[in-house]
Amino acid sequence: MKKDTVYEVRTYSSTSISKLSKKLLKHVLIVTIGLGMLYPLLWLFSSSFKPNTEIFQSNSFFPQTFTLDNYKQGWSGLSGVTFGKFFANSFFIVAMCIIGNVIACSMAAFAFARLKFALRKMWFAIMLITMMLPFHVTIIPQYIIFNSLELVNTYVPLILPKFLAVESFFIFLIVQFIRSIPGELDEAVKIDGCGPFKLYIYLIMPLALPALVTTTIFTFIWTWNDFFGQLLYISEINLYTVALGLRMFLDAMGQNSWGALFAMSILSLVPLFAIFIFFQRYLIEGIATGGLKG
Amino acid sequence: MNKLKQAWRNNWVGYLFLSPWLIGVLTLSAIPMLASLYLSFTSYDMFTPPKFIGLDNYATMFQDAKWRDSLRVTSMYVFLGVPLQLIFALAIALFLNRGISGLKFYRAIYYVPSLFGGSVAIALLWRQLFGSKGLVNSFLTTLGFETKNWIASPDTALYTLIVLMIWQFGSPMVIFLAGLKQVPIELYEASKIDGASKWKQFSRVTLPLITPVVFFNLVMQIIGAFQAFTSAYIISGGSGGPLNSTLFYTLYLYQKGFTHFQMGYASAMAWFLLLFIACATAILFITSKKWVYYQE
Amino acid sequence: MSKMMKSLMLYALSIIMLVTVAACSSNTPNDAANTTSTPKATNQNDPNQQNEQNDKKDEVEIRFTWWGDTTRNELYNAIVDRFEEEYPHIKVKREFGGWGDYWDRLTTQVAGGNAPDVVSMHQFYVSDYARRGALLDLSQVVDSGSLDLTNFPESAINSGRINDTLYMVPKGVTMPGWAYNTAVFDELGIDYPDMNWTWEDYAAKVTEIYEKSGGSLWGSVDGSGGQPQPNFRYFTRQHGQDLYTADGQIGFTEETLVKWWSMWDELRKKGAIPDAATGTEYENAPLEQNMFVTGLVAITQIPANQIYLYQQQFSEGEIRMVRMPTLAGGQNGEYIEGAYLSITEKSKHPEEAALFIDFFINSERSLELFKVEQGSPASTTMSEFVKPLLEPAQQRAVDFIQEVLPYATDAVYAPLGAAEIQQLFSDQASKIAFGQMSVEEAAKAFMTEAQAILQR
Repeated sequence: MKKDTVYEVRTYSSTSISKLSKKLLKHVLIVTIGLGMLYPLLWLFSSSFKPNTEIFQSNSFFPQTFTLDNYKQGWSGLSGVTFGKFFANSFFIVAMCIIGNVIACSMAAFAFARLKFALRKMWFAIMLITMMLPFHVTIIPQYIIFNSLELVNTYVPLILPKFLAVESFFIFLIVQFIRSIPGELDEAVKIDGCGPFKLYIYLIMPLALPALVTTTIFTFIWTWNDFFGQLLYISEINLYTVALGLRMFLDAMGQNSWGALFAMSILSLVPLFAIFIFFQRYLIEGIATGGLKG
Repeated sequence: MNKLKQAWRNNWVGYLFLSPWLIGVLTLSAIPMLASLYLSFTSYDMFTPPKFIGLDNYATMFQDAKWRDSLRVTSMYVFLGVPLQLIFALAIALFLNRGISGLKFYRAIYYVPSLFGGSVAIALLWRQLFGSKGLVNSFLTTLGFETKNWIASPDTALYTLIVLMIWQFGSPMVIFLAGLKQVPIELYEASKIDGASKWKQFSRVTLPLITPVVFFNLVMQIIGAFQAFTSAYIISGGSGGPLNSTLFYTLYLYQKGFTHFQMGYASAMAWFLLLFIACATAILFITSKKWVYYQE
Repeated sequence: MSKMMKSLMLYALSIIMLVTVAACSSNTPNDAANTTSTPKATNQNDPNQQNEQNDKKDEVEIRFTWWGDTTRNELYNAIVDRFEEEYPHIKVKREFGGWGDYWDRLTTQVAGGNAPDVVSMHQFYVSDYARRGALLDLSQVVDSGSLDLTNFPESAINSGRINDTLYMVPKGVTMPGWAYNTAVFDELGIDYPDMNWTWEDYAAKVTEIYEKSGGSLWGSVDGSGGQPQPNFRYFTRQHGQDLYTADGQIGFTEETLVKWWSMWDELRKKGAIPDAATGTEYENAPLEQNMFVTGLVAITQIPANQIYLYQQQFSEGEIRMVRMPTLAGGQNGEYIEGAYLSITEKSKHPEEAALFIDFFINSERSLELFKVEQGSPASTTMSEFVKPLLEPAQQRAVDFIQEVLPYATDAVYAPLGAAEIQQLFSDQASKIAFGQMSVEEAAKAFMTEAQAILQR
């Protein structure tokens, strides 16, 4: 009898220990991989406080001489136009692109996923095909179009395409999400007498929210980082974006201002990180279950 | 009569929702695309008017050894890199889906590599990791292994780019997470009551329900990886070296177009790639009928 | 359903917040344009008065573009500001970027029919632009008196001619050479290289460095491949040949090429220069991280105007330069290099563009800022004018340029297709370095393929 109880206690404690150690192992694993993910950021961060000469010449991870000069010098930008201006410009472009992408892509996606109309499959195929041509060969024709409309050196070439749902990636993404929404829900709504517009706004959009959030996050990050389009279409410094501002510190034939580049890179990552943290809650707080019940 | 009216109404609504995209595709996409298709039959140096030369560009292309190299390198990158990246992204997404404290924080951290995009910092970093005096080598030395110049040896350079691709797994991960959000919790609870093991739960409940998202990621990553440019451009300094081992298709295309001023040839290359990707995508779509489940 | 809508509303709200934040902090493009004109106006002493003086002339806007780093951007902006003070009726829009970005954008602009009026030009690319009719024949603005080249030596002007047409004028001329750090040589106890050394001296010096350092230091970078100029081009010219002939054919023999690659191959096999993988690893490294600055090699090839950039990287020793190695019993390889200015063919205001170039290269107000930013001023009066303004490292650069300049002879510009041949040259060189081909095979294949490219 006594032996048995001891035995029982032992099993109990050993399972709880194994459970605990399993949990611990999980966290250790996550943290180790996490460090691998974070290393570049940490390196960039610590380098941004090093004087230019120290960045590549010392092997130490931590700055030996701590300086804020990189931030001051970097922020001052060029000829009186500061990085504050570049940030404002980037925010403006990004915000417009998000609005454009969310509205135009979700509309097209709704049409492809839920509406029946002639040539639907053909248009869908065309949508996919537009993604398959490397952009380098369409740059010049596109530039000629915008130049003939005298829109070069404005933000129109960067923003207008989003309002015309040129990024098929997001259309296809939202289509896939809408297609996993049960069709019976549509029927129920249709029986209630709702037309396609109400169906779009009141049922599909809320249910496809994770896709819209994903579209927002990606549009933000990709537009923020995209520099090639900005490089070709924006040449006046007052219109410069953060991505272009960062390129300013580099010149293969001259001197690179690494310190300033790193400092401003760190600053430019802040909004990206913030947007990810802010919007990811929509990916975490499950709306699917609540939604289906309500 | 009534039927016709109904059909017209349906078309009208469909095209109304489609109209922004339709305008965009007919102006901003179609014109440049058709222009480049025409240019692929010409000799075009960008500064002087194009000269029509028929199929010459395509003929030259099939005999161009470097073009074959670039196609081989890119295919390797796609067929090795994309599956690895997706498996990694899905594993992490499942891992970070629920049931761990500090989830939000971890998730944000795991997304960090993807925030960098094609930043120049990546090029510096990769040299720091995989260069002759890199971290990987000093790690190998302490373990007593032989070292290697990973980034500049023709037989390993491409793998460092594949590692980079896997490392930047954030986008597919987010899409997987968003897909997992759509799996109703009730289903998990039901399978729990049935006493299903974790693996069974994953393979019977989760995986089938997220196949649309898996399919999406697969198609998109393949289309994207075939056109991969930035990583090779920043890390090899635009050369595609050593010995063409990182000469991605679009990198070669860019060299031809912008460095050698042969935009006609570059356009022919681009349209060949389009056909190539279209075939790959079509195959995926056909097989998808067998393994992707939609709720409609 | 209400819960769903709530989260959608919340989401929409957060987007709107994002937009308002952006809208509040940002000006529209039009606002942005307005803010620029204010500081410029305050720069002028009395804008109204000056405007009255020039009332007869219509306002003209030209665009000027250059490549450069942050220091140069500030400098050129200041020069342009001074030009606008001097010529209030001409507004100059500035566009700039790093070397790589610069050429991507310029190509697109020229192809798209939106070329800037005044563009910075370089020997690597001038053939591609000039031979395709993108650049203006400058003799018309020289004849009209807008661009004054009287103080320019004939050789400097000739370096901007392609087939006898003047397409570009030098902002600054520079000469390449091999640089070394005195501290490194002192420490090893090796004599500095001689100004007029030969390729044999070079090979011996490189080997000596490698041996005396006990193998911890390579003698020099691998110059076998990469851009064929200046290294290989000097070698061909020393043989009485050149990269190309005047009628656009390959200008050197297979024998010269074999000699060239064999020389490097021997050094590589001895271990005196870096192995292929290390060489490739550092090939495109930025200046701050290249093999010379990080102390892996003792000698490197640079253009003279970069001496002061390199000097800034070292706390010990002086960066000095010697000529490109010469060929015993051969001719001089030197030809003028530099950074140039051109006017584009489609410019609507070639005269104003010429006035700008004239101001840039001939006026003291410009040169006292420019100094030797992209090489020593080509105008003889201006190069005298900037001399007292220089720092020691810049002074050394000018001294070097002026010492070597007399050796320079005219050089033929590359034909169309040269970019592809350059690529081929560099590809073949790395095939040798990685041991995929013998020197003879690589040279033979190069000659056949290069000729095929030029035949097209």
